[in-house]
Amino acid sequence: MTWIKKLKTSLKAYLFLAPFLAVFSAMVIYPIGSGVQLSMYGQRGARMWYIGWENYQRILSDSLFWNSFKVPLFLLLVQVPLMLILAVIISFMFETRKNGGALYRFIYYLPYTIPGIVSGLVWSYIFSDSMSPLRPILDAIGYGSLLTRENVPGILLVMILWQFTGYTAFIMYSSLIAIPREYAEAAQLDGAAHWQIALRIKLPLLKDPLITLFIFNAIGAMQIFNEPWMLRDLVVLPTNYTPTMYIYNSAFAQGRFTYAAAMGIILAVLTCLVSLYVLRTASKLILDRHS
Amino acid sequence: MKRIFVAFLVMLLLCMPAAAANYYPEYTGEPTTITMWAWTSNENYSIEEFEKVYPNIKVEWEDFGVHYEKAQTALAAGTGLPDVLMVEYSFAPQYMDLGAFQPINEWLPEDVFVELYGEQALGWSSLDGVIYGTPQDSGAITFFYRQDLFEEYDLEVPVTWDDFATQARKFRQARPDLVFNGPPLGYALWWVGLVWQSGVKMFDYHDGNWYIDFTNPGAEKVFEFWGELIDEGTIDVEMWWNADWYNSLNQGTTATVLNGAWFAEWLRYNAPDSAGQWRVMAPPNFDPSKPHNGMLGGSGFYVTEHSKNPEAAAIFVNWLNSHPDSLLCLNKYSNLPVMVSNRYEEVLDEIVIEDDFFGGQVIVDTLWNAHNLIDTTFVGLPIWSNLDSALSLLLQDYVDGKIERFADILPLWEEEVVATMKEFGYFNTIVGEMP
Repeated sequence: MTWIKKLKTSLKAYLFLAPFLAVFSAMVIYPIGSGVQLSMYGQRGARMWYIGWENYQRILSDSLFWNSFKVPLFLLLVQVPLMLILAVIISFMFETRKNGGALYRFIYYLPYTIPGIVSGLVWSYIFSDSMSPLRPILDAIGYGSLLTRENVPGILLVMILWQFTGYTAFIMYSSLIAIPREYAEAAQLDGAAHWQIALRIKLPLLKDPLITLFIFNAIGAMQIFNEPWMLRDLVVLPTNYTPTMYIYNSAFAQGRFTYAAAMGIILAVLTCLVSLYVLRTASKLILDRHS
Repeated sequence: MKRIFVAFLVMLLLCMPAAAANYYPEYTGEPTTITMWAWTSNENYSIEEFEKVYPNIKVEWEDFGVHYEKAQTALAAGTGLPDVLMVEYSFAPQYMDLGAFQPINEWLPEDVFVELYGEQALGWSSLDGVIYGTPQDSGAITFFYRQDLFEEYDLEVPVTWDDFATQARKFRQARPDLVFNGPPLGYALWWVGLVWQSGVKMFDYHDGNWYIDFTNPGAEKVFEFWGELIDEGTIDVEMWWNADWYNSLNQGTTATVLNGAWFAEWLRYNAPDSAGQWRVMAPPNFDPSKPHNGMLGGSGFYVTEHSKNPEAAAIFVNWLNSHPDSLLCLNKYSNLPVMVSNRYEEVLDEIVIEDDFFGGQVIVDTLWNAHNLIDTTFVGLPIWSNLDSALSLLLQDYVDGKIERFADILPLWEEEVVATMKEFGYFNTIVGEMP
């Protein structure tokens, strides 16, 4: 009886999966479910009443919510590609070193180990008026305050690049050393220069990890919160500066929890769609290449 | 004759505890423990005194810093608020209107409340005649100034706002690199407070209606006054409560600050290097023959809807904020200007001392004087967080050059606030007039 055997195997599998499934459903599935449920209610203080999709309808026409995507979009289009390019360059530089430049890899990786809140605090000091170490230079060229609202996207760019470029290069490097040595050797025998090997042979082979990293960083950009949150003490940022800030402020500062829950669901769906889109176009590219 | 005298004495003896019992009723319930969230320091000394008088009530005090986000969450969840919640006067109406508090009139009737805290405090502790808590410290606006800078640059302590402007211009000319006074970029409390200080108000609540009138001549006058100084570059608006600001107070690059009376304590702890240099005064007025004052901050202690023992909580908040034993502790250990209670006068003699941080000035006298100049009150709007962020954004727009005339902020602010009131479902809002 094969089906009994099958059942036994799957039972066994679920037994092993049980600890994970229990935590996963309690900590992920259940909160998402109750988030969806909450988003269907109107709320004022402790009073709640069912309103169906009304929150979602209101969000569709809430310009504050849609305007909050400007910063994530900027990061998605500028910071993410820029960081990937930098990371690729750095990973190639690791590769040229003996042992992959272990010391440099360590140094580049370090910023990633510092919690975003802590580095955000330090960065906010670096850009502040009275403590900035850049102040003498800025005074010399007659530049006023660094922390104006116009400069904030640029400052976010610097903060995120500083924190994540080394980490990304690190991952890139591990993919790089996984590429069989023979490819490079063959190319070398054919007379390819060092940069040609890197650009023409190795870079195309890095496509898969690059796509994965792009998706991760795209999600990070959509959900950006810590960095702008830490700058709030030094420059006034609108409550809807980023989608997550708007969700947080709506819930905890204004007490509109159900409305915030609905926005959270929409943001999750949008993030999911962006990832899926990238993944699909990417896998198409890979399929094309293979065929 | 003797018998009459004895009878009189007996009557007197009978009356005295009776009167005291009226303020602080006997606790009739089971032994209990109540919880309190408050961010002031050293409330435990008062609690110890209280537990001696009411051995059946234990108070557990928890300090999470400013706990509004936590409180909002507990409120929406329908469970989790402590019995007693500390809330700033400006935010209190928001919580009252959301149903976060429960009435305590049963243990603290309105006439007793007025006797203990005065008529004005009703505006911060009750809505529609329902009392929810008691007021603790005073936010009476006070003028803090650096004596060393005033001497060095030959400045005079301003009595009128015209004097203030003159001194500000003089100082800017002498030291363009220093700050005479930096009004906050945001912090609606400050701007509303200065309008209040001039004897007018921008909003109120009466008989079930919210009234909004930002553009009344009184409020406009205040914004025009600051606008002129800011537009011409004599003073600049600044972000408060951040590292840059702390440094400027500590290192003496800011000459004056207008803030609530509680700020004296704040300065002492956050600007230790400036010890001995600061002095305090009542703030300038437009007409010194008719001085007013308003408040900037200050907090009350309210009994929450989630409290299972409102009787114990009500007895506690009243004792905490009005009994002389508690006021003494709060003054001594928390350094709070607990001047709202009328019984403050009973302890005044004991706490009038020279303050070394303020160069030996007896600041209690000055602060008490500033507090007594408060002669109007009103109920804050129930959307204070939105009111606050709307102003911050407009001020940042001004700093970024998107708004040209500073005083234009006022009507724009009103527009935003009225729109938010509508958005939050307050259709009982009357714009352009006061009750």
